[in-house]
Amino acid sequence: MMLAWAEIAFAAVVQVFASTGMALAEPCGVETVQGRRWRMRRAVYNFGIPNAISNFVTRVSRSARGLRFAAQLSTVMLGLLVTASAADWNIPEQQLARRIVAVTGPGSVSLAVVNRSSLGRRDYEAIRNGLRSALEPLGIRFMKQPEQPATTIAISLSENPASYVWVAEIRKNTGEAFVVMVSSLRSDRTPGVHESVPLTLRKTSLWASDDPILDVAVLEESATPNRIAVLDPEKVSLYRWQGAKWQLEQTSTIVHARPWPRDLRGRLIAAKDHLLDVFLPGVICRSSVSSLALNCRESDDPWPLMAGPRVPGVNGGALSVFPSADLANAASTLVPELGAFFAPTRNFFTGVLTPGVGKFTTVPKFYSAAVLPRDRYALWLFAASDGLVHMVDGASDQVAKLGWGSDLASVKTSCGAGWQVLATGTGTASGDSVRAYEFPDRDPVAVSAAVDFSGSITAMWTEAKGDTAIVVTRNRETGTYEAFRLALACGQ
Amino acid sequence: MRLFGWHWLAVSSLLAGSLSVYAETRPQYGGTLHVTMRAAPVSLDPADSSQPESFAQRSLTMLIFDTMLSTDEDGRTQPALATSWQASQGNRRWQFHLRSGVKFHDGSALTAEAAAASLRSANPSWNVSADGDVVVIEEDTPDPELPAELALPRNAIEKQSPDNKLSGTGPFHIVDWQPRKKLTLGAEEDCWRGRPFLDGVEIEMGKNSQDQLIELELGKADLVEVAPEQSHRVAAEGHLLTSSAPMELLALIFTRDVASPDDKLLRDALALSVERGSIRSVLLQGAGQAAASILPNWISGYGFVFPTDADLTRARQAREQVHTIPRWTIGYDADDPAARLLAERLALNARDAGLSLQPTTSTAVDVRLARIPLASADPWIALANVTAIAGLPGLKNTGRSVEDLYAAEQADLATQRVIPLFHLPASYAATPVLKNWILRPDGTWSVADAWLGSAKP
Repeated sequence: MMLAWAEIAFAAVVQVFASTGMALAEPCGVETVQGRRWRMRRAVYNFGIPNAISNFVTRVSRSARGLRFAAQLSTVMLGLLVTASAADWNIPEQQLARRIVAVTGPGSVSLAVVNRSSLGRRDYEAIRNGLRSALEPLGIRFMKQPEQPATTIAISLSENPASYVWVAEIRKNTGEAFVVMVSSLRSDRTPGVHESVPLTLRKTSLWASDDPILDVAVLEESATPNRIAVLDPEKVSLYRWQGAKWQLEQTSTIVHARPWPRDLRGRLIAAKDHLLDVFLPGVICRSSVSSLALNCRESDDPWPLMAGPRVPGVNGGALSVFPSADLANAASTLVPELGAFFAPTRNFFTGVLTPGVGKFTTVPKFYSAAVLPRDRYALWLFAASDGLVHMVDGASDQVAKLGWGSDLASVKTSCGAGWQVLATGTGTASGDSVRAYEFPDRDPVAVSAAVDFSGSITAMWTEAKGDTAIVVTRNRETGTYEAFRLALACGQ
Repeated sequence: MRLFGWHWLAVSSLLAGSLSVYAETRPQYGGTLHVTMRAAPVSLDPADSSQPESFAQRSLTMLIFDTMLSTDEDGRTQPALATSWQASQGNRRWQFHLRSGVKFHDGSALTAEAAAASLRSANPSWNVSADGDVVVIEEDTPDPELPAELALPRNAIEKQSPDNKLSGTGPFHIVDWQPRKKLTLGAEEDCWRGRPFLDGVEIEMGKNSQDQLIELELGKADLVEVAPEQSHRVAAEGHLLTSSAPMELLALIFTRDVASPDDKLLRDALALSVERGSIRSVLLQGAGQAAASILPNWISGYGFVFPTDADLTRARQAREQVHTIPRWTIGYDADDPAARLLAERLALNARDAGLSLQPTTSTAVDVRLARIPLASADPWIALANVTAIAGLPGLKNTGRSVEDLYAAEQADLATQRVIPLFHLPASYAATPVLKNWILRPDGTWSVADAWLGSAKP
């Protein structure tokens, strides 16, 4: 609570500094609304500073002088807090007041202010008070109950897509009617608040962008990721976490001759002997050993369906190890490597597998796949483009209508059966969801509550180390793309 | 550049708050979409201004053609065929850098010369030239709205072959075209935005609203138009109904200027006699918004200032100042079933005020009942378009503030050539199998990213 008050107080201080031009250069004029929200965001973002103020207040309060100072500081900040919101609207208030008085001249009026906009009650009240304060010095006196035929001013706080529009309809006691108005640019809408993280399946935000994201790969991490690669339709960017924010390290362009298909998909896979590989429809890029410099070529080579570290397998085949961090651990699992061909002008895998699953070298065209290693075989699940799920164990292809979405990913954990399948839901008007399942046999059993996302899931891939997955969503309200890491935690 | 917020835009009975019908899985390729529409255009040429404006016509244009710039869901201008643009000489000279590698459906490359020729054809008054891969547009007066104008379907880039075949760069190419009847489109494999998911689109034209709904119910159509007065019933019947914000102006347009002080008084009386509230409740079944302004309130922010209530007393007072009452004729579209009822109701209102208004389907009339789809959500472009359609003098705006806009609109209304009546939404009903189709901010629909799925997930 103390922290929250300190934050608000800090915002108020920033407000004053900004309004006096001491610290923040803000555009003047009617764009004050945008400026206000920006400042508020900055105040919240710099979390450490309010803490510092809080601690500072605590220390000085140990002496009488300190107490007086603290009391004065609190008073000042509270005062600033009260006036902060009103000051944000100061310029349009002053503009409208001047235009009104230009019509009415000084004198008694009956004033009504109506909110026809999306402004909240707090802003509305601040503006209403601000308008009265702006009109009074110009010689306007307000009548509570009209005692005589007086000038009436009906102010409507309205809006259009670009601006807040404040309209004053003035009716003089002579019967003449006038309309004056001002506008004030609107700020962008703030993104919706995401739902809290459920208990077992946890999502961690990695990256957000107004531009499309196809995939994100975590390249380095300690307790949290500190180096990531972000794939968008035209480039790969490397970011490092420095100074409490992601700093761009390097960018490399993806060269491609053909137009990308709609619903473009792509995958980043961190490599052991070089930085990473990039898989896109009809294009594969490989970075150099030490840097991001990409060498892209048109290629219909298969994409790996699981991307763990490779070890040699029997008969010249390869195995992927999961989790990669436990390579030396007896609990790690070896999964036969499987690749699939991605249609270069579409959004799906053709269904041709290499080297195949047992006797199956083709399955119906599919969007995504997940694997569940068993003692003697691996059960592969393919989310086919017809909405069905094909469960292929090498000897049979069992088809099920599970009502899932089109993205599957498997994760190796220390929970439950050890391997779970993450499956997207079928979507709602508000967003998509992901839920974890286990397959004791061929029927899925939900083992987690669904994690909701406020947007459509556009990608879900198992990460290279195998115990987490990356989910990319597109927020339906803001259009923002967001990348999350999904991890399963044992227990509640 | 203006910022627009469209958070309220789609007023959907079953899919509130969503512009596009959400997809339950990844998009699936294949299938032919069947669409019906009331309009029956004789030409697909986007620059052909001889045809009546309609949301349907604009929608078709954007399936076949692309514009230099586009408008996003927030109303901001975005790159399309042009990747960047800049203004100089006080917004009199504009340069648009063309996207490379784009081809027309006939296989020829999109060049700055081709784009310039197309824009000249659509806008004879513009001075358009090509300079390398740059299209240059020069005008005599500053035009800050030019980027928004280039996003209008009528400024889509087209190419005509010597045998008059149209070619665009859009997601679908023309397979078969039977003017006024049917249009068959095929997916453009090499579309620069990527091949559409649908294999094709078949559009049946000249279908009245009732027939369109029957075709939807019979499964013969996937996407149909819904007349405003039917939207309430269609939603109640459980159809997936999606409506735009009010983007169509229903208005009375006088065919000549005010001729005398008496004429002015009589037009005042007519405007005051219209009972918009009851007409909206009864004839429009609650659809749309009563309007006395050209621009809807959501575009201007000040539309509420113009009173919409009828004032029969004042109407009669105005009428009584005139000794000789002319017999006016009100023209309406014979193909629009709601228009006849509206015209008759307006005639009744006029009679209550002591005026004479005779409904007719003739084209030689004193006043006509017109549906005007607003050209853009940009208020200046929308107002200029209505001004042109109503035959009013061009806008004389010196500034770009909301007060300037208000003054310009007031000037239009002061001519008494236009009596705004209602602002109506564009409404559509779709089958559950049609996924991810988009209702754009301007009331047009797009199926470039749509796909056909299963009825139930």
